[in-house]
Amino acid sequence: MFTSHISRRDFVRLSAAGVVGGSMSGWLEGLAAQTALHPARRRSCILLWMSGGPSQFETFDPKPDHENGGPVKAIETSVPGIRVSEYMPRVARCMDEMAIVRSMSTKEGDHTRATYMMRTGYLPQGPVHYPTLGSLVSKKLGLGDAELPNFVSIAPFKAISPGAFDAGFLGPRYAPLDVGQGQFPGGPPAQDDAARQLQVDNLGRPGDVTGEQFDARLALLGDLERDFSGANPGVPPQSHQAAYEQAVRMMRGDARTAFQLDMEPPALRDAYGRNGFGQGCLLARRLIERGVPFVEVSLNSVAGNQFFGWDTHISNFESVKRLTEVLDPAWATLMSDLKARGLLDSTLIVWMGEFGRTPRINGNQGRDHYPAAWTSVLAGGGIRGGQVVGRTGADGMRVEEHPIAVADLLSTICLSLGIDPLEQNMSNVGRPIRIVSPDAKPIRELLA
Amino acid sequence: MREAWRFSALCLVLEVALATGVRAQQEVAPDDVQTLADAIDHFIVARWDENGIQPATLANDEEFLRRVYLDVAGKIPTVSEARKFLDDSAPNKRRALVDRLVDGPAYVRHFTNVWRKTLLPEAENSFQVRFLVPGFEAWLTKQLAEKIPYDRMVRDLLTAPRDRQQLFNNVGQADPAPGAFFEAKEQKPENLGAATARLFLGLRVECAQCHDHPFGHWKREDFWRNAAFFSASEARAEQGAFDALREAFDRAELDIPGTEQVVEARYLDGAVPEWRFRVAPRQLLADWITSPDNPYFARAAVNRLWAWFFGTGLVDPPDDFDDHNPPSHPELLDKLARQLAAHDFDLRFVIRAITASRAYQLKSTLTHPSQEDPRVFARMSPRGLSGEQLFDSLTLATGHREPPGNRNQYDFYSNSPRKEFLTRFADQAEGPTQWQTSILQALTLMNGRLTTDATTVDRSEVLVAVAECPLLDTKGRIETLYLAALSRRPRPDETERLAAYVDSGGPHHNAPTALADVFWALLNSSEFLFNH
Repeated sequence: MFTSHISRRDFVRLSAAGVVGGSMSGWLEGLAAQTALHPARRRSCILLWMSGGPSQFETFDPKPDHENGGPVKAIETSVPGIRVSEYMPRVARCMDEMAIVRSMSTKEGDHTRATYMMRTGYLPQGPVHYPTLGSLVSKKLGLGDAELPNFVSIAPFKAISPGAFDAGFLGPRYAPLDVGQGQFPGGPPAQDDAARQLQVDNLGRPGDVTGEQFDARLALLGDLERDFSGANPGVPPQSHQAAYEQAVRMMRGDARTAFQLDMEPPALRDAYGRNGFGQGCLLARRLIERGVPFVEVSLNSVAGNQFFGWDTHISNFESVKRLTEVLDPAWATLMSDLKARGLLDSTLIVWMGEFGRTPRINGNQGRDHYPAAWTSVLAGGGIRGGQVVGRTGADGMRVEEHPIAVADLLSTICLSLGIDPLEQNMSNVGRPIRIVSPDAKPIRELLA
Repeated sequence: MREAWRFSALCLVLEVALATGVRAQQEVAPDDVQTLADAIDHFIVARWDENGIQPATLANDEEFLRRVYLDVAGKIPTVSEARKFLDDSAPNKRRALVDRLVDGPAYVRHFTNVWRKTLLPEAENSFQVRFLVPGFEAWLTKQLAEKIPYDRMVRDLLTAPRDRQQLFNNVGQADPAPGAFFEAKEQKPENLGAATARLFLGLRVECAQCHDHPFGHWKREDFWRNAAFFSASEARAEQGAFDALREAFDRAELDIPGTEQVVEARYLDGAVPEWRFRVAPRQLLADWITSPDNPYFARAAVNRLWAWFFGTGLVDPPDDFDDHNPPSHPELLDKLARQLAAHDFDLRFVIRAITASRAYQLKSTLTHPSQEDPRVFARMSPRGLSGEQLFDSLTLATGHREPPGNRNQYDFYSNSPRKEFLTRFADQAEGPTQWQTSILQALTLMNGRLTTDATTVDRSEVLVAVAECPLLDTKGRIETLYLAALSRRPRPDETERLAAYVDSGGPHHNAPTALADVFWALLNSSEFLFNH
């Protein structure tokens, strides 16, 4: 055993990284025999990430009586008195389980910085690499020996703000497993391809390598590792072993079936929508069902729109209509599907983008970036549904009641998942950093 | 006739004498590199003796070869380079190898990457900064290729034009343009002041941005006085253009945000700049930072080099010089710093000395518990490779050829294998001795295209060449794969074990396929994937 050669400092780091513990014996050999543990169900989170900044007016804060509201009407929801845009008819019926935050008030109007801010809780700052929400949450809620990774990111479009999508100073141990690539405008996946694209890269053995041969290769590798890592202890070789064990477990285990969407009834697949986002939401449910604590699904583009996600500077109304035709059925089906399986109570759903859109409609019938007053939504587990937090004025220009900052929203998310937002992680600059900035004021009335 | 003969004989004698004289002179001239290497070991060994530490033994040629190639050239050696070095019997071959590498193109390429990541880490996070990377890298390459001394490189960087319009016109052209540095720090005096202090002096003043440093070193005012050297006002540009920056000459002042206070630029040691007519404040700052008298500049530089070559700085983290974070070997740090300044800030001189030291040439094998603390440098710590080091080593070992013109990973639209690979193997915040592997990285290395192409018999040039070479027997084939991937020859027990496997043909009873299996295992091994 080479554990004795590791210094205490290394050991603390390794245990923190989840490298040490149970995995020290038997390099790769015992894998086939291992079966997945079935942990007591913990809370989990699905983040519906609206790349580009969704319009609040055509979704959850309609202003039909003001010229800033444009032509879109408001409709009743399942909760008397709460009205949403007519573009969201099916989600409107889930209102009992949802809380709308209409008073988001943030400061960043640039995609890169705002995306970073909303997804990490901090502004990019010198050398500190802040972790994204999914890494922070899955570090707290994840299980070290799960077959599936603890954080799955479906179709992330990272190019707009690359640092906002990774584990930052928490390291690759907490990095998301990316599934499918976010598509650049103009190239949404064709309908039939949607499910095929939602696969983990390189999860299958290369074409002509048989299972027997792969095992033989692993045995050869095992010999090399025993010789080298045993004599040259350190974090890199230890972490190499842990990652390879987990990767092989995924390749062999039935965790792979999580990604086989064709096992679902066709009618349910239709209900989610036969597009990247709809099928991504279905995949999210399958992952949550298998114990993955954090899954995010990005909506980056839809057929017919020629720009990035919700960045509707031009033809806002038709564009948002096309986006909501994808969003509304997918989200509503996700809620009902989770509920039918008894998972909705333990699953928090967060809907947000990096900012909202301008109240004033520009010369191209578009709306520009607007961080001063916009909307996000929390739904499902841990949330007291059927309510609205905050209020914007009649023209939508200003928050008139209960302004919510980024940290306020993120700390509410943490609390509803049973995580202490003030907990600290050691950062890469040698000082501890709290999950959420300590000046955050959680939205207490939302917490169930 | 006779005279003529005598004359030419005389000439010959003279020539011989002259030549001997020069040679003798070379021999007696102090070997600066060895002297500094010895000094390094003197301080390192003294610490071992004080603490009863039993250091690891000296790395063999194979271990040294691979390590120094990765550290200096950013990639492993080729099979023929490895064979040549290992079979060379010259006693000074380790020094000769480093001398050759620091003057070669691979050194320039590797340190272009290393310096770009150090000076422009924002490119990992910012879409906009990524567009400026090609111009910045072209500038770094020029500095390194022309062997510009480090102090001049820093001075040129800090006094580069801040013309934003020109900078963004250069996107896609990639003319050498250091101005990306200012853009990456958002042109803000507070960011630029903090970044220059951290990068070039190893001082973290940014904690004092909002309040006095809790440990009393830097006051809030110090932070803003330092930032004031970069103060500039924005002149609103015409539509569609970038706002121009107007820098004050002669003197520089800055408002501390949220206060009524206006401060004038002052050096971090408290000295007041001697303003000169029509000389930009940041010119004065650059002169002060890079002055041989600045106690921090050379120390921060050699400490950074040390951290690159050992994975741990003498001061660690390397950019945190502070009374509360003292160096492990203060005298050594001072010695290295003085020597760097004495050698006109030629970083290659320090690299040659570090790599010639016993401390650098220790094995990474841990043979005694007293070697555990990385800060005693009693064994080499295993280190992760940067994405570039790993990709370039993989392509070298496997014979993969990247399509030309695909080198820029920040080209938004291209999706080259290299770019995909570098995205997946991005640098980690914790530093190379704490490197971790992700599941996706493991899957990429096991099942990804690069490995698959390299380990499929009819698709891999290296494998075909090795499997079909009539001059090689099974043992020779295994040896060649070891040299290609691990830059070493297999041990007898390895040869025996693997030859038996290959001769049996593995599960498919096919020798070339079994050879491919061996290559696959080598490419996925810790020994290949890390620097050690």
